[in-house]
Parts: sequence; C-alpha cells; structure tokens
Amino acid sequence: MRKSPLGQTLLYAGLAVWLVLAALPVLWTVVISLRTYVDAFSAPLKWLAPITLENYRGLWIDREFYRNFYNTAIVTLGTVCISLTVGCLAGYALSRYRGSLGFWLLIIALVFRALPHSTLLPSFHALFDAMGIRNTTITLIFVLVAINQPFTIWMLRSFFVNIPQELDEAAMVDGCTRLQAFRRVIIPVMWPGVVTTGLFSFLLAYNDFMLSSALTNADKMTMPAAIAGAITAESDALLMQGVAGAVSITIPLIILVALFQKQIVSGLTQGAVKG
Amino acid sequence: MKLRSFAGFVGPSVFLMLALLALPMLMTVVLSMRNCALEMELVTVQQTGPFGAHEVTTQRAKVDASGQAVQTCQWVGLEYYRKVLGLEKPAAGAGGTAGAAGAVPSPAGQPTEFFSALRFTLLYVAATTPFVLGGGLALALAMNRVTQRLKAVFIAASLLPFIITPVVGALAIKWLFRDNGLVPHVLGGMGIEVFWMAQAWSAQLLVILYGIWHVLPFAFIVFYAGLQGVPQDALEAATIDGATNGQKLRYVTLPHLMPLVVFVLMMHLMDAYRVFEPVMVLTQGAFTTSVQYLTYHVLLQEDNPYKASAASVLTIIGIALLLIPLLRKTWREQRQGH
Repeated sequence: MRKSPLGQTLLYAGLAVWLVLAALPVLWTVVISLRTYVDAFSAPLKWLAPITLENYRGLWIDREFYRNFYNTAIVTLGTVCISLTVGCLAGYALSRYRGSLGFWLLIIALVFRALPHSTLLPSFHALFDAMGIRNTTITLIFVLVAINQPFTIWMLRSFFVNIPQELDEAAMVDGCTRLQAFRRVIIPVMWPGVVTTGLFSFLLAYNDFMLSSALTNADKMTMPAAIAGAITAESDALLMQGVAGAVSITIPLIILVALFQKQIVSGLTQGAVKG
Repeated sequence: MKLRSFAGFVGPSVFLMLALLALPMLMTVVLSMRNCALEMELVTVQQTGPFGAHEVTTQRAKVDASGQAVQTCQWVGLEYYRKVLGLEKPAAGAGGTAGAAGAVPSPAGQPTEFFSALRFTLLYVAATTPFVLGGGLALALAMNRVTQRLKAVFIAASLLPFIITPVVGALAIKWLFRDNGLVPHVLGGMGIEVFWMAQAWSAQLLVILYGIWHVLPFAFIVFYAGLQGVPQDALEAATIDGATNGQKLRYVTLPHLMPLVVFVLMMHLMDAYRVFEPVMVLTQGAFTTSVQYLTYHVLLQEDNPYKASAASVLTIIGIALLLIPLLRKTWREQRQGH
C-alpha cells in the first residue's frame, strides 16, 4: 500500500485526538481527585496544584466507603457465579436442542434483553416489600442475574455452538449421562467462552447504578449508587469525596482492561460474528 | 437432545426470567391501573413536656391490629395513563395521590411528561447513531493502518469509555464541563463562554456527547474486528483492476462490513432507548429527560408507583415498536439456522 507522508501525519493526528478525547475525562478526574476543592475548581484553572490524599481519606475512612466496596464485591461475585452456572446450563441446552421451543426461548430472551430496567422497578418495590426482602444483598444479586440472563444465554450459546456435537456424543457413548458429559467434557473446552461471558456479567453487575440505588438502602448500596450523592453534593468536601469515589470505582476497571483486553474484545465481536 | 433434558437444563434460567422479568412486567400492567392510598385518621395525642401536658391533634396513618398501615386500593382504569400522557389537567385531589407522603403535585404547564421524555429519548437516539456508526468506522479504518505495536495501546485506551461505570463516566464529563472546569477554561481562552448545564441546548448537547463518547468504542471494536476478515484477494484484484482507495472501500470493504453495521445499529438503538445515567447525572431531569428517567423519577422522587407503572407500560410499548425490525431479522436468521 502506498503511504503518503501527509496521509500518515493526518492519520496519527486523528488517532491522537481520539486518544485524548477517550482518556481525558478519566485522567482529569484523577488529577482533581488529588486536589483540594479550591485547587480543583479554581478560576482561573490551575494546571499544577499541590497533591493531597485528603479526599480519599475522607471517603474511605470517614465515610466508610469500604462498606460499599464490600457490598460491590459481594454483589458482583454472587452475580457472576450464579449467572454463569445458570447460563451455562441453558446456553448449552439451547445449542444442542433442535426443537422450536429453543427458538422461541431465544426470541423471548432477545425481547427481555431490550427491556429498559426501570420499567421493572415499580413491580420490584411492590413485590419485594410484600415479601419483606427489599433491602437485601441476595435480592439485588438475583435481580441482576435475571436481568443478565438474556444476554448471558445468547452469548454462551454462541460459544457452545462452536463446540462439535460429536464431543458430547462420544462422552455419552462412553457411558456419561448428559449432565456428566456437560460437566466433564464440554465445560473444560468452553473455558475461554465462560471467562469472556463472566467478564461481561461482571461489568453489568459492577456498573449497575439504577437497581442498587432503587432496591437497597445506604448500608447495602454498591459503590456507584453510593457516590450518586456527589451529583448534587452540597458541600465542597462531599463533592471532592465523590470525585475520589469516582476514581476508586474506575481503578478496578482499568486493571480489568489491562488483564483481559483480549477476552473483552473477543466478547464484543462474538455476538457480531454470529449476527 | 431430548425435550426432557432440555427442559431440565434451561429450567433454572427460565424460572429466573419468569419470576423476575416476566412476572414483574405483568404486574406493572396491573399496578398501572390501580391506586392505593394510606387511610389517614385524625388523632389527639397527649404530650407531656417539662411545661405540663397539652393535647396535639395530628394526622397519621391508620394501623390495623398487626401494626400494618391500612391501605385502600381501587381500580382507576387509565387515569394514570391520561396523567402521564397529559390528556387531562391534573385535577386537584382526584383519586388521591398514592403513598400520601412526598407526592409532589406535578407542576402546571408540564402536561406532557411522557412525550417530552420520549422526545428527548428519540432525539438522543437519532443524534448519537450517525456519530457512533461513522466515528466507529472511521476509527476502525484508521487503526487498520497503524503499526502493530501501537494498536494494543490504542485499543486499551479506546475501551476505557465503554467499560467505565456509566454514572462515573457521566460525572467525569460533568466535572470537566462544570463552571471553572477544564473545558470552559479552554473554551474561555478562545473567547467562547458557555454555561453548559444552565440552558437547554447545551445540557442536551452534553448528554449526547456523553452518549457518543460512551458507545463509539463499541462500534469501533466490532468494525475493527470485521476489517480483519475482509477478503484480501478481492482487495488485490481491485487494485490490479485499477480501483482507487475510495472505490475499494465503497465496493469491497463496506459491503463486507454491512452485517456488522446492522448489528451495531440494532444494539445501539436498544441501548440508546434506555439512556438514563447521563440524564440523571448531568441535568437531573432539568433540561433533558428520558423514558427510563421518567419512571425512575416518578417512582423514587414522586413516590407514586402507580403512575410510574403507567410510564413503564408506555415505555415498554415504545421499545416493542422499536424492536419489530430486529425481531424480524433474528427470526429469519434463526429459522434458516435450524
């Protein structure tokens, strides 16, 4: 391919602009999280200012943000484990069953996939209040699992479809039951697909704001719901703790990208390749 | 696989979806046509203070023997739909506001809550879609020409806006555009002064900018992966036949990417219809509102689950209409696959 120097320059300039746009909001949030309010939002703006960890100290120690971190950890872990267990069973069956029932299930799952989550909230309130289980971590986990299911079974099914049927048939000829074939033969082969789907379950549970804020009270809230106070923070200290909270939430995600970039990319393209 | 074992395998998943998605959806329809209010009673309480006893008459919720508040429920038909759609003036005290406490009377001059929510939601969908598709495509084509070593860095950085917690992403944009923030400072240096969150057009623009920033990486990644599969021999043949770069893009690359463009478009339509966090964070519903935000707001701020249910049902009808083309496409593909 011919490469004109002008074209190359424009190309890299364009990509550099995108890189700045993509990273700037996060980078600038990190910068101001290390400042006092006066330095963070001063007029005129300061490019350099003394660094302080006061915001983080206030957030994690005074406001006990570690509780929210703990809640997030439990909710995320629970959602991922249950989602994958339930989803793998269903995704496997959907990839092997030839009847029209499977087809209908997939169509209905697709409809639920598009459902705006807030439409479920009024019923959740009524239902969970009546059963007395509204403000519990376990309820939030199961709600997240259910909301996650349509996506999970579609994705896992598309991974299972690529595993040849002969594999489970061979196992069953050798005396495995269907469940044993699934557990001993298919799942080990499926591992990359399970990890990728697990990552997206993780992101959904970790990034959820609406459900946690609507279904749990302050002591059970996950991190994103807990920092929502920063949206309308009245005091400067509170606002800056919100900034520190935003950075705190983002750090695990950055680590995740660094470790699992390949799986995330393959997961994003998986659905696409299958249409 | 036999039907029996199929049912066993999908059982837990189907049960969860029935119990926590399908059942609540049906309940929403029922709730939207009902209204419950706490029964109130006037009681006179003797209060004893340091300055002697005195009687105070207050209103409080009636409680039954077990200590539960007594509620009276009634069917109100489509009343809340009319309210949400603004088909009637909210008559004072009609039907009683639900939940009694905290029910803010909807301000006059806002007769079409749902339509204004729907209008901005659709504006958001329409405004973000071309930029997401076009930007994603341009970025993918550009990345395809970058040396291998730089690609990993570019892709990692591009993923950040996509996987970041939406509330956090929206907050980051908010702090960037806030008065005395970075962007107003830089724009101010160029003589442009905008108070971003203080007027309708700029607040709406900000929500749309957030949407593009958030979703563009997804389109980019999908298109970039698709570009790796463009048949090289077709491209070479086109070069030998004297095709220009533009022609190769137009006649070889784009047709190859078309299914992916449709896929991203469908995904984006579904997700954009659900826009919530930026609306909530950037303007708190002041200059922008969306159908999801409306339900959330009515439920949690107005504390009226019945009206919120009516808004929910209308939202579901909206997404159902939007989904029809996607369902037809999937229908055909899956039928062929079987």
